[in-house]
Amino acid sequence: MRMELIRNFSIIAHIDHGKSTLADRFIQLCGGLSEREMESQVLDSMDLERERGITIKAQSVSLDYRARDGREYTFNIIDTPGHVDFSYEVSRSLAACEGALLIVDASQGVEAQSVANCYTAIDLDLEVIPVLNKIDLPAAEPERVKQEIEDVIGLDASDAIEVSAKTGVGVDDLLEQIIEKIPPPAGSEDHRTQALVIDSWFDSYVGVITLVRVMGGQIKPKQKIKMMSNGTEFMVEKVGIFTPKRTQTAQLQAGSVGFIIAGIKDIESARVGDTITLSHSPASQPLADFKQVQPRVFAGLFPISSDDYEDCREALKKLKLNDAALQFEPETSQALGFGFRCGFLGMLHMEIVQERLEREYDLDLITTAPTVVYQVETTAGELVEIHNPADLPPINKINGIREPIIQANILLPEAYIGAVITLCIEKRGAQKDMQFLGSQVSLVFELPLSEVVLDFFDRLKSVSRGYASFDYEFLRFEESNLVKLDVLINAEKVDALSLIVHRSNADYRGRELASKMKELIPRQMFDVAIQAAIGSNIVARTNVKALRKNVTAKCYGGDVTRKRKLLEKQKAGKKRMKQVGSVEIPQDAFLAVLKVDK
Amino acid sequence: MFSSNPPLGLYIHIPWCEKKCPYCDFNSYPADAIPEQAYVDALLDDLTQDLPLIWGRRIESIFIGGGTPSLFSAESIDRLFSGLRSLVNFAPAIEITMESNPGSADAANYRGYREAGVNRLSIGIQSFDDERLTTLGRVHNSAQAEQAFTLARAAGFDNINLDLMFALPGQSIEAARSDLARGLALVPEHVSHYQLTIEPNTLFHHRKPPDLPDDDHCWEQQQACQDLLAAHGYHQYEVSAYCLDKRESSHNLNYWQFGDYLGIGAGAHGKITLGGEDRVLRRIRQRQPRTYLEQSGNSRITSEVELDQSDLCFEFMLNALRLKRGFDTRLFRDNTGLSLNTLLPTLKLACDKGLLDYDGKRITPTELGFCHLNDLQELFLQPRSAAKKPFFESSVKNYSQPKYHR
Repeated sequence: MRMELIRNFSIIAHIDHGKSTLADRFIQLCGGLSEREMESQVLDSMDLERERGITIKAQSVSLDYRARDGREYTFNIIDTPGHVDFSYEVSRSLAACEGALLIVDASQGVEAQSVANCYTAIDLDLEVIPVLNKIDLPAAEPERVKQEIEDVIGLDASDAIEVSAKTGVGVDDLLEQIIEKIPPPAGSEDHRTQALVIDSWFDSYVGVITLVRVMGGQIKPKQKIKMMSNGTEFMVEKVGIFTPKRTQTAQLQAGSVGFIIAGIKDIESARVGDTITLSHSPASQPLADFKQVQPRVFAGLFPISSDDYEDCREALKKLKLNDAALQFEPETSQALGFGFRCGFLGMLHMEIVQERLEREYDLDLITTAPTVVYQVETTAGELVEIHNPADLPPINKINGIREPIIQANILLPEAYIGAVITLCIEKRGAQKDMQFLGSQVSLVFELPLSEVVLDFFDRLKSVSRGYASFDYEFLRFEESNLVKLDVLINAEKVDALSLIVHRSNADYRGRELASKMKELIPRQMFDVAIQAAIGSNIVARTNVKALRKNVTAKCYGGDVTRKRKLLEKQKAGKKRMKQVGSVEIPQDAFLAVLKVDK
Repeated sequence: MFSSNPPLGLYIHIPWCEKKCPYCDFNSYPADAIPEQAYVDALLDDLTQDLPLIWGRRIESIFIGGGTPSLFSAESIDRLFSGLRSLVNFAPAIEITMESNPGSADAANYRGYREAGVNRLSIGIQSFDDERLTTLGRVHNSAQAEQAFTLARAAGFDNINLDLMFALPGQSIEAARSDLARGLALVPEHVSHYQLTIEPNTLFHHRKPPDLPDDDHCWEQQQACQDLLAAHGYHQYEVSAYCLDKRESSHNLNYWQFGDYLGIGAGAHGKITLGGEDRVLRRIRQRQPRTYLEQSGNSRITSEVELDQSDLCFEFMLNALRLKRGFDTRLFRDNTGLSLNTLLPTLKLACDKGLLDYDGKRITPTELGFCHLNDLQELFLQPRSAAKKPFFESSVKNYSQPKYHR
């Protein structure tokens, strides 16, 4: 196939701005699927995506399009994941393209997430085509939104194409513009083979399926390939493209996007961003810096029933098959027993994993409050990474603690600027930049990640009535005045409730936490004393008063079924609690810190 | 294995009331015209069909509950007892209790009931405070309540229970105390003093009365009332039951000691041990009075379940732990046919939690355990095996609620 007839591009869009509808429309216009398949096939793959959650991070589809010039072009559309937790994956997807469509809802305007991805695309020298979607809506304001694209992103939007993915208006013009504006892939089949791993996932029938963009050379079945990050080699079994059905082809050549099946057993061996080359004539250089994504947020997951421990391990192993970023290691808590300390890319990632464990694997779990990675310099001069506040060395062994700092890029309507700045400052943020871009304001803050993982996103949404959007990137570790806040229940320290907080608000946090715990722990047979302490210094103290009685006054004589139901319900309620000492603590209370309002 | 069958009581359900009270979830129906004759016939027919189950066994106690049994005339009750005596043997010292509503109290009827053989009357007073009686939707007032008691005494009842409630909407501690004091001034032999509980399927559940006292307030009311009861010589022998010396209700005690009981009448529950076959059955009658009446000559059982070992343990504990002084371990063996060993791990757990005392002979809830009986009983609840279903189940939804008969 001639290179000039190939166009590789991504679609950048905020959630709900119509990315999938537009992709469906492309598939339909290019005849990738018959009308009937359209129903089943597209929906199926969406189910699959939903089912696989975060794992199908980058889908791709190859479509043939007969253009107005009479020639037949091949479009490779590479989907990108849509959340801040997966920014590295996004950048790899974009690196596989020559262009990107920036889809903006013509009534909603630009969102921070799109901006971040758009900048990544521009940094990678992609041709970005602005597209206004949902032009059929009465609330559409194309002129305002065009201006906003120019103001916020600095992209010339004067000839931005106006479409409605829903009705199909403008979509064929868009296809023509893609041919016209996005350059065909460079690179040649004569080069030594280099293919970028965009994504990989585990299929129980064929093993790992690796989605790649071939930058140079070609890949065929029976060739031996090599992963350039670690040198492991595999024999290629099959190659092919997604049309969007998985379709086998004779080879993958320079410029194309497709899959490789090579008997790879786990996705650790085919990680996003790696470069694949041929063993017998390897390329001298990998394509770009391969970066192994690091979990930034850690939390303990503990089965409520210790009998579920092995099931939990199996479930985590299975999830990890498809999720290279998920880390887990056994953890023992005095309070919660045996569980796992898991590392996640961010809060969304954590929620997805937790939900899948509970829903798909039917596990009842206690999740501890998420914490970030701290670097602790000990008096012995060692630098230790702390994934769990309970592991913090004693104060007299600590020289200093460093915490991760992120850059937060916030985009919001002018009206909420005061509230958002107040929030950022309360979260120990330092303002770095502020720009007025038409009706939107772009705010840049440096914030400790630990403040962000707690409730920053929810609070941001609430102070801006949902209008502010937010994106972040990791900057550095920075020395900070941090202390460990412990929670004692009936005078016993509950390790799973320990937190690392900044000294300036440690007392306040302790008081808030104790009073939140008081609300969340139900009254029991005994008084429950809740204390918050920094070292040996008690900063807050509160009490859950004992329930004086729990008796059914009247009984139903012969009818034990009703009484039984009542007690079964009571027992089921306790199943959602973890017994710590003699105290039943509900799951909620372990996340109390997330529920502290300020 | 059972060495002998447990003692046997007989419960008779009368499913009609003048009007349904908003807190009541018993199987009762408001009725203008009650088919008394037909119902007495149906009760006797019902008992006749169950005779093979209790062959040769003596009836130790009888309780006529409802509904409002005192809506039945003395003649009907007399005819009922004549029929019963011809079918089963009564123990010589049999206790026969009948429930009565002060609203339907009548001197002639009371005398008639007494003559028919009823020797214990349970009067459903609930409160002596007219405002609260209105809130509770009762058909009587406090003057009628006192009048009913006087009539009962005059009719020769020397063993009377008063049903009284506390924790009523808007009730202060002082009000609860003086309410009870008015009842105690009548010197009944027995008082059932129970906390108002909002049950599902009652009017109160759908329309919560305002000013319901909170948990702490209920506790304080209970404490105050228990002090008053004790000061008048009433000792507590069960969660809600108090009496003068040796005036325990033997019919209710039999429930709490996990004795057997045959239940006849619409929606009545029974528990019968077939010692020889080493089986224990729980049986429920048809719930709707009309359907119940129509079944002459046919079985009125809608559900029959055989209790397995875990059911027996749980149900025994569910009942016996309600007794303030607990129970002798022999009672467990006698009335469940099981060895106490089956219970030991849970007993130990309960003792460790400070909810139970076990001295090798007697098992007694501690003060803490007695106050948190639900937590204690829950420990003995085993997850029910999924396979276990009633033998037949024409209308399991019709499970009704006989009750502790006060």
